[in-house]
Amino acid sequence: MSKSSEEVLLIVKNVKNKKTDGTLYMMGERMAWMLESKHVFNISYMYADIKTQKISPDTKEKVQLQVILHDGSANTFLFNNPKGRKCQLQDRESIKELLQQLLPKFKRKISSELEEKNRVLQQDPESFQLYKDLVVSGVISPEEFWASRAHMLSSSSNKLAAGQNVGVSPAFLADIKPQTDGANGLKYNLTADIIQSIFKTYPMVKKKHAEAVPHLVSESEFWTRFFQSHYFHRDRQALASKDIFTECAKNDEEVMKEEISKNVNDPLVDLTQIKDQNIDDEYRGMVDDTRSSNNIANQSMIRRFNQHSTMVLRAGCSISTTLPSTSTSEDGSSLPKEVLKPDNGRKSKSTNGSQINGMTPLPNETSCSNYLEEPLRKKRKIKEKLVYEDLDNGPTQEGVTLRLTHMDRYLHGPTPATSSSSHMDSSVSMGEFSTEDAIQTLAYNVGSWGTSRHKLPVRSYALSVLGELSPGGALMSGTSLQKLHQQVTPATRDEIKQNYNAMCELLRHFWACFPVSSKALEDKVLKMRVTLERFEMSKLMPLKEKLEQYHYAMNLTGHLEEMLRAAYIKFDMWQAKRSARRT
Amino acid sequence: MEDKQNNSLLIIILDTNPVWWGRKQLANDQLTLSHCVDCVTVLADSHLMLTHKNKLAVIAAHTDHSVFLYPRPQSEKSMAVKLPDDGQYEVFSQVEGQLRSQIQRLIAADKVKIDDMYEVAEQPSDSLVAGAISMALCYTHRLEKECPIGETLSTRILIIKGSNDCPSQYMNFMNAVFTAQKLNIVIDACVLDSDSGLLQQACDITNGIYLKIPQPLGLLQYLTWVFLPDPNTRSKMALPPRAQVDYRAACFCHRHLIDIGYVCSVCLSIYCTFSPICSTCQTTFKIVGPQKLMKKKKKL
Repeated sequence: MSKSSEEVLLIVKNVKNKKTDGTLYMMGERMAWMLESKHVFNISYMYADIKTQKISPDTKEKVQLQVILHDGSANTFLFNNPKGRKCQLQDRESIKELLQQLLPKFKRKISSELEEKNRVLQQDPESFQLYKDLVVSGVISPEEFWASRAHMLSSSSNKLAAGQNVGVSPAFLADIKPQTDGANGLKYNLTADIIQSIFKTYPMVKKKHAEAVPHLVSESEFWTRFFQSHYFHRDRQALASKDIFTECAKNDEEVMKEEISKNVNDPLVDLTQIKDQNIDDEYRGMVDDTRSSNNIANQSMIRRFNQHSTMVLRAGCSISTTLPSTSTSEDGSSLPKEVLKPDNGRKSKSTNGSQINGMTPLPNETSCSNYLEEPLRKKRKIKEKLVYEDLDNGPTQEGVTLRLTHMDRYLHGPTPATSSSSHMDSSVSMGEFSTEDAIQTLAYNVGSWGTSRHKLPVRSYALSVLGELSPGGALMSGTSLQKLHQQVTPATRDEIKQNYNAMCELLRHFWACFPVSSKALEDKVLKMRVTLERFEMSKLMPLKEKLEQYHYAMNLTGHLEEMLRAAYIKFDMWQAKRSARRT
Repeated sequence: MEDKQNNSLLIIILDTNPVWWGRKQLANDQLTLSHCVDCVTVLADSHLMLTHKNKLAVIAAHTDHSVFLYPRPQSEKSMAVKLPDDGQYEVFSQVEGQLRSQIQRLIAADKVKIDDMYEVAEQPSDSLVAGAISMALCYTHRLEKECPIGETLSTRILIIKGSNDCPSQYMNFMNAVFTAQKLNIVIDACVLDSDSGLLQQACDITNGIYLKIPQPLGLLQYLTWVFLPDPNTRSKMALPPRAQVDYRAACFCHRHLIDIGYVCSVCLSIYCTFSPICSTCQTTFKIVGPQKLMKKKKKL
């Protein structure tokens, strides 16, 4: 049964699922379908589980809505209102609208958290094991577990944000495939991405949108008007004064003019000399470009294209006005403009621009300042093209000379540890004899050097040395025939490894609390201490007992215990200090 | 047989520090220099006996200089020729005779020096092992050059040392060791008295065996057991395992080995405690995080 507290948003009757009639319920957190005669939901989908919805095209006879889930399965509902097709469509629209609103809300929640965590656990078996050991067994809370792994979770989302600013596709307007709705109308499906692109490219539209949408016109009305003005009024000949986009068009004009005034001061590119032709076209060399002012409509079309390109590029490199990219964009966009616009109000500016190109000296309107400015700018430009900074040798900097005072320090080794020889009594007492005596004695010894060839080996010594050097002897320790990793079975090894992992994780939590600077950390330290004790009792002790049965030569849990001791000592010290401070 | 003749050169570096050996004798230690030299002679003879192509050199690392005990320069050889009377292989008697006479000469020279001096200067208690290794490396180099085509020479160095490490030789010693490593020369060490950190490192770097012998009187047995087989054969034998070597660095201030220290980022000097000014290169270090924290804590 449905929970009584659940909020029912919409009920649509006459919905078929798998050829049986029923009722579709849209609830606060799920959508459900109930068989006609029953009082139990046969189908119930949490919105969070729904990946997307699909609707059948209008041309199809049946009015259907498909729900696709995250696990890939799908279910189709057929709207079967007896009142006719129009009502069926209406029913479906209402469901669709509602789902459209609801799905994103739930989607965000699940994708941002659970899916991410699930992914992390699946990709990292070690974390998964830790999760099982620590969280499932209740040693630490899931929040704590994930808190330490925040870097794993946020990494992917951060990457996107920190990454490059995604530009706008130049064809984003053309990519909106309008669908004819039978009669004379066109239907545009606008996605959030497209709207974003439009706003990015045409800030003026965004402004208008913000101004007009809630109170003056509806959202869909706004976009209808936008497309009408944008596409059908492409010539922008007759600008209806009541249109909200009139201002936009005017603004566009302004932007164009500004663009023209700004660019083309590249001495290396002479746009005025470029003609729209192939160089080897019949090998004539000289062509009179007569097409320059044929058709006003074409001209304005090209102007609009150029402006669009400019805007797209500008949206791409919105704030960062890095020189090379903007200059190329301006070159590209301004090329036809310059050529195709013989006359507009900004003539003086445009001639300035061409003048700066240097190749076509125009006698009129050349000011003195331009003459002065020009070579400088040219030089700078040429230098920019010729000089590569990273190919320069760079100024060889005089490094700071190193003044070393005690060079001998580097040459000295460690002082011999005298303590190590203390077990030999003779070496201690050896210092008592003077050098002179020593040498005298040695000289005497060497002087009376008889042949002792036959009495070299001393029997008792030989035997003990033999013992020392045989396997198992004093000098052969550590060369036991079996290595430790061969003694311990893989299963035991894995178990020890798991315990190591789990405990290291706990200890990491513990040590991360120091220095204890806040109340929260204080609580956590106390909790971690308890947790560690619990871990020792529940995991480490059984492991130790188990290992003792195998009689390994080495204490395999020794290091684990050592780490625990260190943590306890730290905790005790901290507690003692704290209580001392309080009293 | 094999196309390539492999000649094995064994260079024995014997610590002949007269002070150390003399004191040892005065302390009534049973191992004397003469006994040690006899043992070395047996080892040398055994080595020569394995193949007649085997070569031998013995260098004495003395307090103030290192000297070749065997072989002696050509000019000296002619006068020392004296055939053994008991039918011994003449090279053996040559080795024994030269070792003995050279050591006697060395000690005698020391005695004369002491007799000459009015006041006895304190003799250094260490031997010039680094110098001896260098001489051994040079000798190897020469023999390799003289090696006829089709023959190869594999060299190893055995250091028999009793006296203490000498910190002042550190750099020279390590340089020599790394050279040996580069030349694929194995350095073995047989230590008679206290452990030597430097030799441990040298053996570890060059894949040699380091052995501090527990019973000095059994020296001969250790030598023939552990150090006679050449490095290729050793892998097939059960020999004492390689010990963990202490590679810790010594601090510049006290020359103590330290686990964790401070390293000057400019001159790489090592200190056991933090000092705001590096005493080697006078670099000042401004901020230290932990110290600031400490101050803040105290204020709180």
